[in-house]
Amino acid sequence: MKKVFKKIINSIKNFFNRMADQEAERIIDYYSQIFETKSDEGGVNERIKTNACRISKFYSIPLEKEERKMKKLVLAILLVGFISFSFATGPRLSCAGEVDILLQKLVEKGILTPGEAQQIGTETKEQVKKEIAKGTYSSLPSWVQNTKLKGDFRLRYQLDHAKTLASGSGTTTTNNRNQARIRLRLGLESKVNDKILVGVGLATGKDDASTIDKDQARSTNQSLGNGFSKHPVTLDYAFVQYSPVSWATIIGGKFKNPLWEPGDLIWDTDINPEGAAVKLTKKLNSKIDLFLTPGIFIIDEYSDEGEDPIMGIMQAGITSQFTDTVSLKTAVSYYDAANVKDLTLDGTTGTNSNTTSSTSGKLLYGYQNIIPAVELTIKEPFKKLGLSLPYLALFGEFVDNVSSSVKQDNTGYMVGLKFGAEKIEKWADWQVRYNYAMLGRDAILDILPDSDRYGGKTGMRSHELMFDWGLGKNTWLGLDYYYGWQLKGNFGSQQSKPASVIQVDWNVKF
Amino acid sequence: MTPGANWNCTGVVSVHKEDKEMKVLSKALILAVVILGLEIPCYAEKIVVEGSTTVLPIAQKAAEVFMNSNPGADISVRGGGSGVGIASLIDKNCNIADASRAMKDTEYEKAAGNGVDAKANVIAMDGICVIVNPSNNIRAMTKKQIKDIFTGKISNWKDVGGSDEKIVVISRDSSSGTFEAFGELVLKGEKVRPDALLQASNQAVASTVSRTPGAIGYVGLGYVSSSVKAVDVDGVKASKETVLTGTYSIGRPLFMYTNGVPKGLAKQFIDYILSPEGQKLVEEEGFVGLR
Repeated sequence: MKKVFKKIINSIKNFFNRMADQEAERIIDYYSQIFETKSDEGGVNERIKTNACRISKFYSIPLEKEERKMKKLVLAILLVGFISFSFATGPRLSCAGEVDILLQKLVEKGILTPGEAQQIGTETKEQVKKEIAKGTYSSLPSWVQNTKLKGDFRLRYQLDHAKTLASGSGTTTTNNRNQARIRLRLGLESKVNDKILVGVGLATGKDDASTIDKDQARSTNQSLGNGFSKHPVTLDYAFVQYSPVSWATIIGGKFKNPLWEPGDLIWDTDINPEGAAVKLTKKLNSKIDLFLTPGIFIIDEYSDEGEDPIMGIMQAGITSQFTDTVSLKTAVSYYDAANVKDLTLDGTTGTNSNTTSSTSGKLLYGYQNIIPAVELTIKEPFKKLGLSLPYLALFGEFVDNVSSSVKQDNTGYMVGLKFGAEKIEKWADWQVRYNYAMLGRDAILDILPDSDRYGGKTGMRSHELMFDWGLGKNTWLGLDYYYGWQLKGNFGSQQSKPASVIQVDWNVKF
Repeated sequence: MTPGANWNCTGVVSVHKEDKEMKVLSKALILAVVILGLEIPCYAEKIVVEGSTTVLPIAQKAAEVFMNSNPGADISVRGGGSGVGIASLIDKNCNIADASRAMKDTEYEKAAGNGVDAKANVIAMDGICVIVNPSNNIRAMTKKQIKDIFTGKISNWKDVGGSDEKIVVISRDSSSGTFEAFGELVLKGEKVRPDALLQASNQAVASTVSRTPGAIGYVGLGYVSSSVKAVDVDGVKASKETVLTGTYSIGRPLFMYTNGVPKGLAKQFIDYILSPEGQKLVEEEGFVGLR
């Protein structure tokens, strides 16, 4: 019985010794491969490789008694470590465990310094992480790999408050409107190849089959109501983009506005222009980036032979990074709206000078704009005063309609500031924005400005105050308050017709 | 012809000989110039290094010294944070992304999707020592106790085995990389108590702690001197070795990520940082060198 028991014990010992030898060889092979693929930095790898070979030899040469003891100890540690990690954490971490154990041994033997071991260990773990991530990525179907889907949803409460002086009677009429509104946007971008990208976006809002008013182009809101009826989802954008070189992108179709603007004096952010544009960028040095954006936007198309209204655009700008915390972005734009005179444009608010002073009147003037804009951004602006404010931006924009046909009410401007978190990314991130704007009635085409700022009209002044509060990752609350009034002199009116809008939003991105 | 050479037979021969010598000399000169030209490193290349504000001082200093000794090299260094640098590498807008944290799985996936083979290059370790005034009898603390002190849950030294004395918390300001690392490794995202005294540099923290009996602060390993006392954390003394082996828990590796194995000027630059001279700069900036 004693002999049988001894035999069993010996068999178990032999089994573990064999396993230990195999495991050690496997690990050494594994690291030999890593050392082979690693770039040689200052000859270190050559040394490591030599040492790895030395270790390999360590297992095959005749061993002295002490060395044999050491071998058993090393192998036992390797084996126990490997098995424990394999069972406890799965294959990924078992590899990390092997790395640590082997490196520890190499440090103990004086083959590697602790620094070299830390470097190799960390880089190997990163390599494993990368290979797993790449594997996950490459196991996806190619169309999924090349396609990105994104979207957002907004739930809004809106209060519109307007005062009008009734003609003749001298009494003031107050109008309040409460609306619950939703906005849903879904976007998809797919890489056709390394240089071509196609994008499609769907959004709530009015389609262009209904009567064309300011909301078709300038709003993706859907007011709730209408007897629980279904609501339309429209084509928000659809474009193809070609980037032959890293510094040039050509885009055509209906696309996100390629023009930079620090506020929204000229363009409602919901407008996705149609036509074609080229985006050129040039990094002059580490501190200066240049950009140039020429393009043609199609405003309308008529079936008769007359010339269609189009807008030629050109924007030249520069971003200067003065220090790590201070940067300045400036741009000058020129827009030429050709063939708009004597036309009634879709989506007009009727505030540009026209033949009837209503939305059906024909435009009296041409529109050629020069628009300089500037934004100064400072991170941690009050650090020296001990105040923690991560971000502050001051901006301004001026617009002048230089068309020879227009003589007055042809300028506008916006000044404002933003401060708080640069982006709302997590709970309790916050940002405050304020701007003051003035637009002469013929400063720009009245089909362009923010539809929430005094009804998207020109010939007005306004204040806007916004506050965002982060609720968590990809979700935040927003509060937006507009107060605007009509420029009486622009319209020969006795009334300023003040109006305010309050919007309370819950935004989620996905 | 050499001025003054005579038109005799011997003279002609000597002129021919001189011409020959000149030709040989010229050829030798050209060859020497070509060989030297091949030998002189050509750095007519530009790289952009962007990312972690923690790694920024190392990258800036190393770029400055490297460009001084290699006038043709153009290395542009920017901060912005680890996330910004990694995003920039993924978008192929920079050559080296500085990072004080490892890339996330999602970032690796995004990089793979963009055809970028992100390669981690560890260039140093960030080891942070918790220091107290030398008059303080505290020698060791747990990470939990340190966290509780800095977040305001513990405000008297007697609660951690010291004398009955109010704790004065000294911290780095929020824009510092050391603050960021301490917040991540010790405070686990919680905020430093509002009455903490904020200092603009490691040196300022060490000076304040050395002057204030009840003070506690944290500095990079390179800033520990005899004027302050570094406490053991979870039973481990802070040292270069314990940071490098990972046994000291308030430490982390610092990375320079590249697209694939570094090549050209990017490789020269990283090799320089990993060289003994570069690692000396790393330690001068208060970090732990790998060599």
